[in-house]
Amino acid sequence: MRLTLQMLISHGRMARRIGLGPESRINILRNILTGLVRHERIETTAGRADEVRFYAEKLIDYAKKGDTDEKAMKMASFWLTEKDLVPKLFKVLAPRFETQSYGYTRMARIPNRQNLDRAQMAVLEYKGNPFPPLYPVKKDNELTLLNQLLKGYREERAQELPTKA
Amino acid sequence: MVTRTACQALQRRFATAATCVPAAEVRCQRSAVFSREQARQRALYPRVEKIEVSVQGPGLDGTMLVMNKGMSTPLSCARHLTEHHVTNSALALVDGEPWSLHQPLTQSCSLTLLTFKDSDPTLVNQAYWRSCAALLGQVLETAFKDNFTVELLSTPEVAVTSGAFCCDVVLDPQLDAWTPSEESFRSLTREAQYLIHQDLVWEPLEVVPAVALEVFSQSRCKLEEVEQKAAQNPKGTVTLHRCDDHVLLSAGPLVARTGLCSQYEVTALHNLEQGPRGLHRRAQGLSLPLQLQSHHTVWRKLRQRAEKLVEVPRLEEVAPPSPPDSTPPASSQ
Repeated sequence: MRLTLQMLISHGRMARRIGLGPESRINILRNILTGLVRHERIETTAGRADEVRFYAEKLIDYAKKGDTDEKAMKMASFWLTEKDLVPKLFKVLAPRFETQSYGYTRMARIPNRQNLDRAQMAVLEYKGNPFPPLYPVKKDNELTLLNQLLKGYREERAQELPTKA
Repeated sequence: MVTRTACQALQRRFATAATCVPAAEVRCQRSAVFSREQARQRALYPRVEKIEVSVQGPGLDGTMLVMNKGMSTPLSCARHLTEHHVTNSALALVDGEPWSLHQPLTQSCSLTLLTFKDSDPTLVNQAYWRSCAALLGQVLETAFKDNFTVELLSTPEVAVTSGAFCCDVVLDPQLDAWTPSEESFRSLTREAQYLIHQDLVWEPLEVVPAVALEVFSQSRCKLEEVEQKAAQNPKGTVTLHRCDDHVLLSAGPLVARTGLCSQYEVTALHNLEQGPRGLHRRAQGLSLPLQLQSHHTVWRKLRQRAEKLVEVPRLEEVAPPSPPDSTPPASSQ
C-alpha cells in the first residue's frame, strides 16, 4: 500500500479496492500471482501489479523456509491455484533468491491500455528471469576515444600525485 | 627600392628549389598531379563490371550488395543502407583490412563499416588521430603569409592515450624567435574549424613512388619520406590523401571527412631540437568527434594535458625493427 496524496485525503478508506469484495480480491490476486510464478513476467494494470507485488515477495520469503516447512507448504498451495507450480516455487525460485533478502520482483510502467478504459498498465517480473531486459543495458566502453583520453589523463595524474607528495 | 626587392626575390628564387615557388602554386601543382593520377586510375575500368559485397554488422547479416568494380566505394555501399550508416561510419574494414571510406573496391569482398561507438574502436581512433594531425598540418601550411615558408616534416604516429595529436613542422628562419600567443592558437583553431565546417572529404589514392615523387618534387623532406614509406610497404606503393587542395602522405587510412570532427583545438607549439632544415617545432592539438562530445569541464582538463609536449620515440629507433627485409632508407640518419 503506497502512501500518496490521494490516500491522504481519502478519509480513511485506504485500501485499493479490487474486484467485488474481499474474497473476490483474494481470488484475483491468486490468479495473477499464479500467472507470475508460471511465466515470471506478466503484464497487468498498474494497480493490480502493485498489489500483487507484496504477495509475490512474501511467497518467496515463505518458499525459502523449504518444502518441509508446514506453513510454507500451506501458503504455496493456497496462493498457487495450479498445483504443478509448487515444485517450481521451492526448487527454482527459492534457490535463485537465496542470497537476497528482499526485492525479488521488478515493476515497470508501460503505455496505457489502448482499449476504451485506457487503464494504466505495468509489467511485473521476478528478477533473474530468462527474458530480455526490461530496461536497456547501459553500455560502458572503455575503448572509445574519449574514454581512452580520460584514461591517459588519469594515469598521468596518478604518476604526478606521488611525486608531489 | 623596387630593384632591391626584385633582387631579393631573385636571390630567393635561386637560393634553393624549395623556397622559390609561392605556397599556393605548390599546392595547385600537387593537386593537379593528384587529379591526373586519379583520373588515370579511374580510366582503368572503362567497362562497368559487377562485384558482390557482403556487408557485416549488427542487423545487416546476409546483406549482399552488387556494386561496380573500381567505382563503388564503401560509402556508396553505406548509401544503400541507411542514413545512419552514411553519417556515422568513419572507416571501413574490407576483408579484415582497414580501408578508407572513399577508396574504390576492386573485388568481391566482405565489408564492415566502423564507427566511433563500436565495441572495439581502436582502429577508428587511430585513424581519427591521424586525420586530425593531417588537418593540423593543412592548417599550418595555409595559416602563414606568403613570405613565410612552412615545411611539414613527417607526422609522428602517437597513441590516443598520449593526449594530443602532433604534427612536426619547420617554420621560416625569420620566425625562430617567435613564440605563439593565445590569440595565434585561437586563429589556427578558427582556420581548422572553417575546414571542418566545409565538411571536406579526404580522398585516398594509392600510387607508385614515381608519382608521389612528382607530387612532392618541391619538398626534399617529403621525398625522403616517400622513399622510406615505399621501401616499408610490401607492395611498394604509397598512399596519398587529398583534402581540398592539400595533398599529404599518410601512414594509414584516414577517416571519411573533416565534418566528423566536432571539438577541435590547436593547443601548443613546442620547440624541438635544431635540425638540418631549421628549428623543428611540434604543433599539438586536441579533438573529439561529433559522436563523442565532452562536457566543457572534461574538455578543459584534457586540453590542459594536451598542452604538454608529447614525447615520440625517435625515428631512428623505430625504423630498423619494422622493415626487416627492405633496403635501408636513404635518409640522413
